[in-house]
Amino acid sequence: MLSLLLAATPALPLDEAGKYVAGAYIVFLALIVVYVAIMAAKLQRIERELRELAGFAESRANGDQAAPGRGSEEQSISDSFAPHGAEEAAPYE
Amino acid sequence: MYGKGLRPLSIATVAALVAALSLVFFYVPLDADQGFIQKIFYLHVPLAIVALVGFVVGGVFAILHLRSGDSRWDAYSYVSIHMSVIFGVAVLITGSIWAKASWGHWWVWDEPTLVSFLIVFLMYATYYPFRYAIEDRERQARYASVFAITAGAFVPLNFMAVRMAESLVHPRTFGTANGGLPGEMMFTFLISLVAIGLLWTTLVKFELTAKSASGQLKRLRRALDVPTPGGSSRVAPEVS
Amino acid sequence: MTSSRLVYMAILGKDLRAELRTLQSLPAMTLFAITTFVIFRFGLDRTSLSGSLAAGVLWATLLFAAILGINRLFVAEREEGGFDAIRLAPVDRTTVFAAKASALLVYLVALELVVVPVFAVFFLDSAAALLPLTLVLLLADLGLAATGTLISSMAVNSSARDLLTPLVLLPLVVPLMIAASGASEPLLALGGPGYHRFGTWLAVLGLYDLIFLLVGYAVFDFLLED
Repeated sequence: MLSLLLAATPALPLDEAGKYVAGAYIVFLALIVVYVAIMAAKLQRIERELRELAGFAESRANGDQAAPGRGSEEQSISDSFAPHGAEEAAPYE
Repeated sequence: MYGKGLRPLSIATVAALVAALSLVFFYVPLDADQGFIQKIFYLHVPLAIVALVGFVVGGVFAILHLRSGDSRWDAYSYVSIHMSVIFGVAVLITGSIWAKASWGHWWVWDEPTLVSFLIVFLMYATYYPFRYAIEDRERQARYASVFAITAGAFVPLNFMAVRMAESLVHPRTFGTANGGLPGEMMFTFLISLVAIGLLWTTLVKFELTAKSASGQLKRLRRALDVPTPGGSSRVAPEVS
Repeated sequence: MTSSRLVYMAILGKDLRAELRTLQSLPAMTLFAITTFVIFRFGLDRTSLSGSLAAGVLWATLLFAAILGINRLFVAEREEGGFDAIRLAPVDRTTVFAAKASALLVYLVALELVVVPVFAVFFLDSAAALLPLTLVLLLADLGLAATGTLISSMAVNSSARDLLTPLVLLPLVVPLMIAASGASEPLLALGGPGYHRFGTWLAVLGLYDLIFLLVGYAVFDFLLED
C-alpha cells in the first residue's frame, strides 16, 4: 500500500531529505504563528484597556451613574457593526 | 496612521507566499547534486537577505531619527531591527537544518556566510538589553540609533572578515548560491525573495500599528486622567 | 593652538594624570592578563604555544583585559560631573571622542608593553615574531580604542554598565579579532615568523579602524547631548 502511494507521488520523497525540508518549512510556519499569537495577546490587552477607559469616559459623561467596566459588551459589539461616520464601514480592519 | 494600507499589503504577501511555495514544490526542477534538500535554499536564503536588508534599513531609520529628532523614525528603526532579529532566528534554524541535511552536522564553522550571520545576529540581539538598560526615554532612543548605525557599519565588515578567515584548503559553499542558477531556479528564488520581503514589511507595519494602538491608549488614559495600572517595568519605545 | 586642540590636550592630560596618580585601571588590567596566561597554561595543559593557539590565547587575553579598562573609561566623568563640564565647553564634541579614544589607546599600548613580553617568556620559543607583531597590535589597539570609547560612552549612562559594555562590545570586535589573529597566526608559527596574507589582514585592520573612527566621529555629538 505504502509503496503504491510512494510510486504515485514521486516528487515527494518521504525519506530523509523530505523530513529536513519539511522541518525547515515547519519552523518557518511555527515562528509566524507564534508571532501572531503574541500579537493576539497584545490585542486582547488593548481591548480590555479600551473597555475600561470607555467605562470611565461614560461614567464621567453620565455624572458617575455608570460604574466602569459595566456590562456594556453587547452594546459595544453591536455598535461596532454600525457604519462609522466618515470612515470606511467594515469593523474588521 | 500606521494601519493604513495594511490590508492590501497583507493580501499581496499571502499571494506572493502562495505563489512562491507553489513554485518551490510544483514547478522548479530538482537540483542536480543536492536533490530535494536544496529546496530549503528557497526559504533560507531569502530570509537571510531580507533580515540583513532589514538591519540596514534599521540603520537608515536611525540616521533619519538622529537628524530630525522625530521619534517616529526611532520606532521604525526599533521595529525593523526587531523583525530582522526574529527573521534571523529563522535563518539560523533553517541554515542549521540545511547543514544537517547536507553534511550531517547541525552546525558547520566552514560555512562563512552562516557564521557571519550568527555574529551579526548576536550583535543585534544585544540591542534589547542595551536599549532597556537606559532609563531616560529620549536618551534611550538616541543611543539606540547610534547603536543601529554602528551595527549597520559593522555588517559588511563582518562578512568580509569571516569570509577571509575561511581556510582556503577546503572551501565549501552552499551549492550555487547566486551565480550560475538556471532560469527556473532563479525565477523561483526571486519570487520567494519578493514574498519574504513582503512578509517582513507586512509584519513590521503590523507591529507598528499595534505599538501605535498602545500609544494611543496611553494618550487616552492621560487625557482622561486615569492612572496606569501597575505601570510597565521598563521604558519601551512608544509610538503616538 | 585652536580651542579644539586645547580641549583635546586638556582632557587627554587629565585622564593620563589621573591614571598615573590613582593607578586604577592599568595594574588591574596587567595583572588580569598575566593571571589569565597562567589559567591558559593549565587549561590547555601546554607550556609552549605556537601558531593559531598562541594567537588565540594572546588576543583573547588582550581583549578581556582591554574590556576592564574600557569599563572604567567614563566612570570618572559620570561620578564627578565631568560630563557637565564638557557640555559647557564651547567645542565640538568629537574632540572629547578623540581625547578619550587616545587615552584608551595609551592604556592599551602600556598594557601590551608589559603583557606581550611576558607572553613571549611564558609561551614562545623565540622573540622573532615580536617586532612585526607590534604593527598588528597597534592597528588592533586603534580599532579597540574607537569602538571601546563609543560603547563605553553609551553604557556609562545605563544601570547595568559593567555588563553592557562587554555584551555589546564583543560581537562588534569580532572582525577585528579575526583580522588580528589572522595576521598573528603565521607570525607565531613554529618555524619562525611567516607573512602569509599579512598585508591583507593589515588592510582589514586598517579598514576596521577607519570605519569605526569615522562612525565615532559622526555620532559622538549625539551621545553627549542632553
